[in-house]
This record gives sequence, C-alpha cells and structure tokens, in this order.
Amino acid sequence: MSNILELEHISKKFDDDLVLDDLCLEVKENTFMTLLGPSGCGKTTTLRIIGGFTTPDEGRVLFEGRDITNLPPNKRHLNTVFQKYALFPHMSVGENIAFGLKISGKSDQYIRDKIRYALKLVNMDGYENRDVNMLSGGQQQRIAIARAIVNEPKVLLLDEPIGALDLKLRQDMQYELIRLKNELGITFIYVTHDQEEALTMSDTVVVMNQGYIQQMGSPESIYNEPENAFVATFIGDSNIMGGVMLRDKLVRILGVDFPCVDTGFGTNKPVDVVIRPEDVVLAEPGKGRMDGVVSHLIFKGVHYEMEVQAGGFEWLVQSTSMFPVGQEVSLNVDPFNIQIMNKPESEDEEAVVIDV
Amino acid sequence: MKNFWKRFYLVIVLLFLYLPIITLIVLSFNNTKTMGVWKGFTLKWYQEMLSSPQILNAFCNTLFIALIAAVVSTIVGTIACVGIMALSRRQRNTILQLTNIPLLNADIVTAVSLMLAFGLFGISLSLGTVIFAHITFCLPYVILNVLPKLRQSGTSTYEAALDLGASPVYAFMHVVLPDIMPGVFSGFLLAFTMSLDDFIITYFTRGAGINTISTLVYSQVKVGIRPTIFALSTVIFVIVLVVLLLSNFLPDKIAQKREEDAKKGIELTPEQRRKKKTLQRIGYGLMAAVIAVVSIFGGRYVGAMTGNGEVIYFYNYGDYIDPDLVTAFEMQTGIKVVMDTFDTNESMYPIVESGQVSYDVIVAGDYTVEKMIANKLLQPINYENIPNAANLEPSYMEILARTDPGNTYMIPYTWGTVGILYNKTMIPEGRITSWKDLWDPELAEYGILMQDSLRDTFMVAEMILGFDMNTSDPEELQQVVDLLIEQQPLVQAYENDAARDDLITEDAGIGMIYSGEYLYCLDENENLDYVIPEEGTNVWFDCFVIPANAKNVEGAEKFINFMLDAEAGLATFEYLTYPSPNSATMELIDEEIREDENVFPSQETLDKCDMYHYLGKEADQVLASYWKRFRGN
Repeated sequence: MSNILELEHISKKFDDDLVLDDLCLEVKENTFMTLLGPSGCGKTTTLRIIGGFTTPDEGRVLFEGRDITNLPPNKRHLNTVFQKYALFPHMSVGENIAFGLKISGKSDQYIRDKIRYALKLVNMDGYENRDVNMLSGGQQQRIAIARAIVNEPKVLLLDEPIGALDLKLRQDMQYELIRLKNELGITFIYVTHDQEEALTMSDTVVVMNQGYIQQMGSPESIYNEPENAFVATFIGDSNIMGGVMLRDKLVRILGVDFPCVDTGFGTNKPVDVVIRPEDVVLAEPGKGRMDGVVSHLIFKGVHYEMEVQAGGFEWLVQSTSMFPVGQEVSLNVDPFNIQIMNKPESEDEEAVVIDV
Repeated sequence: MKNFWKRFYLVIVLLFLYLPIITLIVLSFNNTKTMGVWKGFTLKWYQEMLSSPQILNAFCNTLFIALIAAVVSTIVGTIACVGIMALSRRQRNTILQLTNIPLLNADIVTAVSLMLAFGLFGISLSLGTVIFAHITFCLPYVILNVLPKLRQSGTSTYEAALDLGASPVYAFMHVVLPDIMPGVFSGFLLAFTMSLDDFIITYFTRGAGINTISTLVYSQVKVGIRPTIFALSTVIFVIVLVVLLLSNFLPDKIAQKREEDAKKGIELTPEQRRKKKTLQRIGYGLMAAVIAVVSIFGGRYVGAMTGNGEVIYFYNYGDYIDPDLVTAFEMQTGIKVVMDTFDTNESMYPIVESGQVSYDVIVAGDYTVEKMIANKLLQPINYENIPNAANLEPSYMEILARTDPGNTYMIPYTWGTVGILYNKTMIPEGRITSWKDLWDPELAEYGILMQDSLRDTFMVAEMILGFDMNTSDPEELQQVVDLLIEQQPLVQAYENDAARDDLITEDAGIGMIYSGEYLYCLDENENLDYVIPEEGTNVWFDCFVIPANAKNVEGAEKFINFMLDAEAGLATFEYLTYPSPNSATMELIDEEIREDENVFPSQETLDKCDMYHYLGKEADQVLASYWKRFRGN
C-alpha cells in the first residue's frame, strides 16, 4: 500500500503559541486513521492543514505525492465532516447533499441518483425534501456525512463528528462509520479526544500531545505497549509508578522485585512502569508478591473496580471477583503484563495528564 | 379605580405620542394656510403637492438618495463585516470601536467635516456628494446589523462550502449570504430610514438645486410652512406606517406558518418547492424592477441636472416665488431653472461665501446683500441686458441706493415695511398711530404681539427714542433695552410666523408685522388693519443679485428681466402679497389696493423711513450682547 497523504515537517504557530512542531505523518491508502489527544494537542490543526483551511508555517503536505500545501480547500480532492455538522440551514436535505455535485457540474439525473444512493448509505432514505433544521443531531450528522461522500473523495476528514451525540447513538455511529469506510473503500482521517472511539474504529491510532506525536500504531499496540506515561494515562486506566530496572527481565517496583519480559534497558536504570488495572491479580494475603488492603470498591457492570493500598501506592484494580473494603489481599502481575517505559528526557516530552 | 388610573395613564401617553401627528394630518385637509382655524375640508394641498415640481422633485430626490445610499452602504458594509470577521480579536475590537464612533458622533460634526473635506479635495458639492455623505453615515448602521448575524452564523458553513468545492465568492453568495440575509435586510432598512430622515448632513453637503424633503421643509420657515408640506408629511407617515406594519407582522406570519407545517410534518412536494422557488423568483424580479426603475429615473434626473440644456441655478427663500412663473420662464426661454431654497439670510450667506456651490442668481435681504458686496461675493448688474429694469419705481431705487450706491448690484424683487396690525373690532379705527401704542397698558388686555427678531424689535424702541435704527452706540442700546424690558409685562408673546395666525384667529388684538403679511391677513379676517407708525419704520428690500462666481450670467440676466415684466410682477404680487417695486405692475393692480397707503406708503411716509445696514462684525456682536441682555431678562 502506498502513501496517499504525507505531512512533512509541519510547524504551525498561532500568535506565540506553538501548536505543531516539526510534525511528520504518513497516511496509507484505505486506512482508518485516528488522531487522538486532549484538547489543544494539535490534532484539529493537523486536520485543518490537511483540509486546506490552515496554512502551515513550515513543511509540506503531499497528496498522492503532489505538493498541495498552498492549494485552497476547494481545489483539494478531500472532503470534511465538520464537528458541528455545518449543514446549510436555508437548504433542504437534498440541496445540501447536491451542493458539491452542482458545483462540479454534474447532470440532474446523476445528482438525483447520487442523493438517493448517499441517503441510503447513511440510512436516511426519503429525507430529500426535509428541512435540515428539523432533523435530530444524529440525523444531521448522517446528512453531513452523505454530503461529503457523494463527491467521492479519496480521503474523508472527520473532525470529532459524533462528539455531540448521546452515548447510545455514539456507539451506533461508530459501527456505521466502520461499515461506511469498508463500503466506500477510501481513507478516513478521524479526529477525536475519545480513546474508546479511537480504539474501536481505527486501523491506526496517532496519539498526540502538545503538538507532538507521542505514539503511532495499531489500537492493540497503543493500548498494550504505551511508549510513555502520557500515552498510558491517556489510553485507558493504568497504574503508573516509578521503578528501577535491576537488570534484563527484572524490575523493582515499590521495593518489591517483579519479573518482567523487557530487556535492553541496562542495569539499575530508573524507568516508568505501567500496569493495567485488569492485569493486577488479587489473591489471599501472602500468596502474591505484595500485600495490601482494599480501600474502595465500585461495581462497574462487567467487573468490580477496587483501590488497594499496598507498598505506599494506591493500586487501581479491576476484577470479576469482589473483595470488600477492609479486606486484606495480595497482588500479583504476570510478567507479560508489566510495561516498562523510559523516563521522559526533555520537558516537552513530559507527560501531561488531562482529564477527558 | 386603580384600573381607571392605569387606563388614564395609557391614554395620556398615547395622546402625547400621537396628538401631534393627528394634528398634522387634520391640518393637511384644512382649507386655509392659517393654523388654528378650520375652514372646511379640502384636498387641494394634496393636489398642490402632486402638481408641485419642487415637492415632487424633493420627494424623488429623497427616495433616490436613500435608495442608492442604502444599497451601496449595505453592500460595502456587508463586505466590510466579512473582512472584520477575518481579523484577530484585538484588531476586530479596534476596528469596531472606530466604526462605532460615527454612530455616537453628533450629526453636525459629521456634516461640517464632510463639507470641509469635500472643499479641501476640490470636490464641488452636488448630488454625488450628498449620496457619498449618506453612504458614509449609513455604513456603521449596516455593520451594526450584519456583524452579529455573521458572528452567529460562524465560519463553519463557509468552510464546509469551500470543502465541497465552492470558490470563496460562490460560497459567500450561496451559503453565507442567505444565512445572514435578515441582518443584511434590517441593515438596509435602517440605512434607508436614516438617510430618509437626515437633514443636517444633507444640508451641508448638497450642491445647487438639490433639495430633499427635510431641507425643503426647513427652507420654508421664513414664509411659514405651506400645508402642502403637511400633506406630504401625512403621505410619508402613512407609507412608513404601512411598511412598519408589514415588516413587523409578515415575518411572524411566515414563521408561524412554517412552524405549523413542520409540526404537522408536512413536507413540501417537489411541485410546491418549485412553486415556492417561482414565487421567490417573482419577488426578486419585482425588487430588481423597482431598483431598475428608480435608477433609470434617477439617472435621467441626474442627467437633467448635469445635462445638455441650458440651466440656471437659482437660490431663493422657500416658497418665495410663484412656481407658475418658473414654468413660464422655462417654456419661454428653454432654460431650466434649478431652484434651491434657504430659510434665512444667515443660513444662506455661509453657503455662498464658501464658494463650493455656484449659483447664477440669488434672492437676498438688503443688509445681507450689503455684506456680500463688502466681501466681493457679487458682480455688478449689466442693465443693458435687463431692459425691464426700466419698470422699477425710481423713488424706491433711490432709497435702495442708500445701501447700494448707484444701484450697482441689487435689483429689487419685493419690498415692504414693518408696522402695526390691529383688530378694528377691539380697537377703534384710527386709534393706533404710533409705536408707543404697543406700550399702552389699556391695549394689553387684547393681547400685544412683538417680533422675536433682533433688528426689528430694537428698531421699534429706537424709533420711539428717536435714535438711528442702525445705531450701535452702547448708551443708546442700553436705553433701547430698558424700554423693551419696561414693555415686557404687557406683551402676550414674542413670535415671528405665528404672529400672523394669532392675529387672524383673534387670539391677539395688536402686533407688529411685515406689510407683506397684511394683505394675506385681510383676506382671512377683514377686521384687521395695518398702520405705519408716525415715527417711521424700516423699509426692507429682497433683491436679485448675481454672485461673482455665477456660471451662466446671461441666463441669470434673462431670468431677472423676465421677473421684472409687468405681468410677472403682478403674478408675484398676487402669490406673495408683498408690495411690488415695479411701477408697470402697479398699473395692473386693483386701484383700491394701489391707493392703500398702508401697502404702498406715500413719499412723505417713506421719507421718514430708513433701511437696515450691515454694521460690521464688531457692531453685530455689540447688538447681539444687548439682545441677549433683553431676551435673558
């Protein structure tokens, strides 16, 4: 698969605020790529640079190998689904969808067919003549998508398109988007701050923070092998602790030695350690590596979520079996589930925890 | 009881708001020029309005200026808003502050600075400068209306349109504009009304012969506003009312209908949509047609003003010439008369002095002409080209020569005296002989009226005291002021135009008045009589003069010559009722009137009279300070 889109050394400043710093990104054809990060991380700016609404201060944007950095948005073979739908309020559903087609001078028959096809694709058959202002949020979103895809773009840009919908609708739309992507066979570049959305839909997730790409990879690798504390915190819940890599395959956490599978960190090297809450195994006292006491308990549906005080650290633990508050327990972790990360070297790379 | 007071209060407020307008509407149907008497229902003022080229001209001017100013300022303002939105927040705030200042600025400042700027850049005042000025002051109103709408609609739909392949212009026209249309429309309406309303800015930036309704009305203050203006105001009020009702109720109705349709889940079928589109198109078409008609009309009109035919620009008091005479002159000579009007000499003078507007012939009062001569604003009259000047009564010319030696610059148009008008049913005929009678406590019960005018009011006291009416000696003026203050308790009112009406309606029994008003008053109330007091009085002349910067001197001479014709003089006399200085005209006037020494005083009386002279700046200030002393008392 070749690259459909490449960003080369992109930098962008707003006033004195450096939003993107020397960002490089390659997007393969026919992938679902998600730019994930907290607000202000530069993900939307990246998308706007691709769409042509923002011009980078430095760097180039290549589309199918062609430099399109200075091409205005109306000359790019991309379409965008906007965060607030941006439907044209004085036009009917059909007129909204036909907008791009009319500009490119398609025949009336073609436009009619295309509207019907697009509405069917987004499950909105027969809505041609409705007033867009009378539609629900979810319906408006579908129309916005229909309006973008009738133009047969090679890349569809989606800027937090389902952020404003309620939870159930959001989950439905996630499946719809995956289906759409497969039916259309085009590249999706999707921007969100919702890690669950990113993990559910994407082929590739790009985690961004403070204008830098923190990590890029498949959802599984992002989740299971976060490369730094930011990614670990941002994606899912985690226990992040300082530790010392004593030697290959042995790490000391909170004064207790844990076997692990990581090598190549050297000896007696300070590192960050990530352990996912569902990877902490609770047992009777004395049977694990550390002993502690349950201090909080919440029922979450699929599992229980507990906080365990052990070794001076408050461990977050998820388990299908329940241990009441005050109960003494022991903790154990499978060596495969201990993720060792280098400590950040510069201040810019410093993990910033932002609630989302 | 509480309810009663509530209602009472409401009625009072409504009366307060609408009584003046109702008065105006009622008076527009009144069969007389005099306010305060009902002489029966008539439509003649409406008829006169529709047949008066001057009013129609002003009306069309007003509409044309307002429409062009509103259209241009709406377009420019909307584009400006787009630009403002693209600025950063700090820049935007600065720009908004700057555009809002003209809103709060006093009109007079805007007006004068525009006039000065036009002068500085050598742009002579014309219809164009008025339109330019109107566009300037309308702009902030448009921005004020459009910007919030634009901000509300945001940039997202615009970007979406670009994203779908629209060029920026296409996106603006098809996506942004329809969205902000309500704001644009209300901006347009506001600009239109502001322009329609404006007086001050128009007044200072207009060129020769350009009148709007407001400047026309204002210029008629000297002779009293003709009821045609009431008729015109009534028509405007009704139009504004209708537009207001439509613009208030129609959008509500439409929105209501839409909502109901939406509730019922009614979708427009393609046929209905097409129908709606067609209706929309017809609407746009109508609008385009109206604009086209007005523009064509306006174009023709502007063409006529700047046009090919010969034109003279004539500056006159409002309603101070028989319009039929103007038409007759135009028919006879083929020269178009563009008439511009002013209300007082004092407002006319600076406009002529500024030299930005050039007139060919002006009618002005004697002492203002004196000032114009002193400041070299006039050119000598070439009597060879005005043979009808022979008709002028030599004895009057002699008096006039006191102001204008050798009758070099001034050709009298009308003249008159100041005297006392009294009601014979209250005061026996022959009882009034002297200015002192205005100080008679016995007459105070009938109501004594004095003029509220510096030179005239001072003149009365000066005549009693035996002073020169052109005195500026502080001691004498102090005595004059003392005498007038002594009279104050006896005086019912100090008023100018209203004096005539009060005497006709017998609200007052005696008052000082211009002889020109006498014949008119006599027509309305035959009990009135006019006396020139034995001490003598002021004789005044309104004269034709030709300014030094006149462009069509030949046309001006033809016009003056035409006006000095015996028949033209008669028409003028009948229209204005002011005495004529034309001996040929005198032959044609009713003997009864001609012999009336009150209207045409004998040589003996005239010998006791004098004219006001231009006293110079310093003396003017002295007089003004004494006038203040008297009026402030």
